[in-house]
Amino acid sequence: MTPILETKDVVVRFGVLQAVSRASIEVIEGRVTGLIGPNGAGKTTCFNVITGLQEPTSGKVLFEGQDITNKNPYKRARLGIARTFQKLEVFGSLSARENILVAAEQRKTWDRSGFSPAAVCNEILEKTGLSDVSEFMVGTLPTGTARLVELARALASNPRVLLLDEPSSGLNEEETADMAALLRTFVAEGLAVLLVEHDMSFVMGTCEYIHVLDFGTIIASGTPPEVQANSAVQAAYLGTETVEEAS
Amino acid sequence: MRFKLNSRLISAAVVGLILAFVINKSWGSASFFDSKNISTFLVVGVALGGIYAITAGGLVVTYATTGIFNFAHAAIGCFLAFFYWQVTVQWHVPTLLGIFITLGIVAPLIGIGLDRLIMRRLRDAALVVQLMVTVGLMLTFMGVTLTVWSPKTGRTLDHFYQQSKGIEIGSVVATWHRIITVIIALVVAVALRWLLYRTRLGISMRAVVDSRSLAGLTGAKPSIISGASWALGCMTAGLAGILIAPETGLVVENLALIIIVAAAAAAIAQLKSIPMAFAGGLIIGLATSFSTTFLSFGTDWNYAGEAIPSVILFIALLFLPQARLETGKVRLTKRTERLTKPWEAGLGGVVLIVIVGAWANGWIPWFTGTTFGERSAVWLGRGAGFLVFGLIMLSLVPLIGWAGQVSFANFAIAGIGAVLFSHFGGQNGDPIGIVLVMLVCAPLGLAIALPALRLKGLYLALATMAFAEFTDKVIIRHPSMLDPSNSGVLYKPLKILGFSISTDTMDRKAFVMFLIITFASLFFMLEMLRRSRWARRWIAMSDSPAASATIGVNLTTTKMVVFMLSGAMAGFAGCMLGLQTGALRVDSFPMFVGLPIVLLLAAQGVRYPIAAFMGAIGLASFPAISELFGNPTWLTQLALVGPGIAAIVMAYRPEGGVFYAGRDLAGLLPWRQDAREEKVLLEAKIRAENIGKDEINDLGLTRPFTAEKVSQLDRILDVTDALDEHPTTPRKVMS
Repeated sequence: MTPILETKDVVVRFGVLQAVSRASIEVIEGRVTGLIGPNGAGKTTCFNVITGLQEPTSGKVLFEGQDITNKNPYKRARLGIARTFQKLEVFGSLSARENILVAAEQRKTWDRSGFSPAAVCNEILEKTGLSDVSEFMVGTLPTGTARLVELARALASNPRVLLLDEPSSGLNEEETADMAALLRTFVAEGLAVLLVEHDMSFVMGTCEYIHVLDFGTIIASGTPPEVQANSAVQAAYLGTETVEEAS
Repeated sequence: MRFKLNSRLISAAVVGLILAFVINKSWGSASFFDSKNISTFLVVGVALGGIYAITAGGLVVTYATTGIFNFAHAAIGCFLAFFYWQVTVQWHVPTLLGIFITLGIVAPLIGIGLDRLIMRRLRDAALVVQLMVTVGLMLTFMGVTLTVWSPKTGRTLDHFYQQSKGIEIGSVVATWHRIITVIIALVVAVALRWLLYRTRLGISMRAVVDSRSLAGLTGAKPSIISGASWALGCMTAGLAGILIAPETGLVVENLALIIIVAAAAAAIAQLKSIPMAFAGGLIIGLATSFSTTFLSFGTDWNYAGEAIPSVILFIALLFLPQARLETGKVRLTKRTERLTKPWEAGLGGVVLIVIVGAWANGWIPWFTGTTFGERSAVWLGRGAGFLVFGLIMLSLVPLIGWAGQVSFANFAIAGIGAVLFSHFGGQNGDPIGIVLVMLVCAPLGLAIALPALRLKGLYLALATMAFAEFTDKVIIRHPSMLDPSNSGVLYKPLKILGFSISTDTMDRKAFVMFLIITFASLFFMLEMLRRSRWARRWIAMSDSPAASATIGVNLTTTKMVVFMLSGAMAGFAGCMLGLQTGALRVDSFPMFVGLPIVLLLAAQGVRYPIAAFMGAIGLASFPAISELFGNPTWLTQLALVGPGIAAIVMAYRPEGGVFYAGRDLAGLLPWRQDAREEKVLLEAKIRAENIGKDEINDLGLTRPFTAEKVSQLDRILDVTDALDEHPTTPRKVMS
């Protein structure tokens, strides 16, 4: 299968520090791809390169084979790349409904399918279970709920690729399970997901394919069992105990 | 990468060509190849540059270590220069002792006091709040200085060693004052460098710049560092004030305006490099000296020389690297807010019309007395003026309140609008002129913002302030804009649908009614706009630019739209300003006059359209209060100090008066059950936070806690499980 989104040999250098070195990642439609690695491995930097918030020192980002490395963030969003953030980037002084509505209305500028932003907004509120808090200002919501608002906002732009940066952080076990179930329904509809996550059971349970980053380099790629069996991965990051616990 | 280099080269070439053109066009009679002229240019330029360098260096040190750009920097320097005058000239204290008292005692005390009372609260505040508070401080320091040292008496500070002649450099005498100035500048530069690189305190200060939280972990005390940084800032400001006052005269406005110079140098330094701040100061000093020595701008552009720092600031902005879209900076305020319903907004507008209409017609009994708020021609005229300022405030609500773009330029735009209206139809009372003015002011508002659009928000504030100064000194004073010899009335009463709206200064009733109806309509329009997708997009952009971009928002065009809207609204307000004043003067639009408008709006809550009305009431309250006390001399500067203090209060109450009033009073409206419930929740929360505090005080509970007292407290508070919840601490207490 041809990947809908891929990075080719992406390098990001901050002064002398090489945050990402020659990272190549593939994301395929209808599948959850994991991007894991220890803290500071360069995962969020990869996300920033893909969404255009960080200019790579070298390397390419391709969307459906088209080079988008020099495109503005908003143009990438219009192609169908959406994301959430590790540290909350919600619109805190808008209500949950308005957060989603902004994205849905924005979609009107490039999507001519004649949808109604308000209807899309209601549908997503329903799906994500946010209807009850839709009129609250997001700044007043608990972190877990705000994280869900961020996901809902990303979904409102009807993306083809969704990048999730630690979606389960700040969520309790039940909420994490809900989030995983929610992801599965969207992936079943053909969405491509790239996921950065520390919760190993969540990763191993949802991802079909995993890239492992360590010190900016991809040290392994493969299905969850393959990655778990990989000795380099175990040495660098996972540790045998965690693997057993997760499997 | 290559493209960026090219775009910079192109900008440099364009700026170079324009400069060459201006210099060529306005070259005076002085020959550049005369050694005397060159020497004058250098001696004056280097000395002036040295002073600018000192003040800019101090400003950058404070900004870099505390993250707060101090608009009051030059105003504090101004206050200290006056204080120094008081000590040495009035009280005859010897010069060196006077300098020590001013810079060694008073300046650090001011710095530490500011840090303790205000600045620490601003560290994590929104940019809007930071800017408003320091601009408020600027006005306060200016107002206090003007109150203590009345501008009616002239004062001069002597140059150092005024009597002796100085040194001759290439047939030009460099006075000792200037030589000393240059030496002091060099000493300050070396001392700052030494302080920041060779002392423990300085190294901690630099560590704070890199990462505040990490520096805290290494044992650096943030409170000492920020206190030291503010003290240092005030000392450099005072030093520069004392050095420059003999050159410019002890005039508050002149000394406080040095903030534009310092801001321009700070922009050259990208707000972080101290050597570049010194270089920037020197460049501005040399440029100013170059223009006074060699250039003559002619009578049409008489004040152009004074606008040089503003122009340099604009040029510096063109060459700054684009700001990255940062993540992780989102501030989540725990604020609740509810969208105003259309019928509520309509009702609000009607209420405004009724209140002002009743006042203008003399139906409100308390306001018809002889002094306070008297319904006299004077007060009706003032009322019209404040409503016009309210219209300018309305123009700022979408810009600052929603899109988060802090601009100090709207009063200047209104000024330009007022002048243009006198050419475009105002002279015949033709309402089409208003439309034309708005069509000009919309792109004007955009043009001012353009160089700062790709930069972080602080630069926009600096650029707009520089533009306000430029407008006052260059644009409005040009005779083709406003003929200084024409002091007659420039406007005829507006004719709309056959009605003529009288602007007769003896009876402003009709005009006040017209203004409040327009005000209420614009208020309603803004409330509707807040419910639209545009306002949502602006607020989203302001809350998180990075997230907005990743949902497909084109930040540049989104900002452009709000600047145009705000510019058009300011232009409209300008037309009303013209009608209200009747005759404009070339000095009607100093930059400082526009600042209270922004500050009072912000103090009332810049997100809310109604704050514009409350802000206008605030403006009206200062002359009213002054009248109430019988216009004593100590209240003459209330119009400056009042808005200043109102803005400083934002350090404690950042959301603005309308927000807090709304939270407390909305429940009084019969249909606002939600507000009543909200209030009950809030009160419960506050009770929970304060639980036990009174009881502890009543028991006189102090360390060490005795077992008896603790169990007594437990009984009073009805606590039984406290020990289980906190097993460690109470047990220690008991033993």
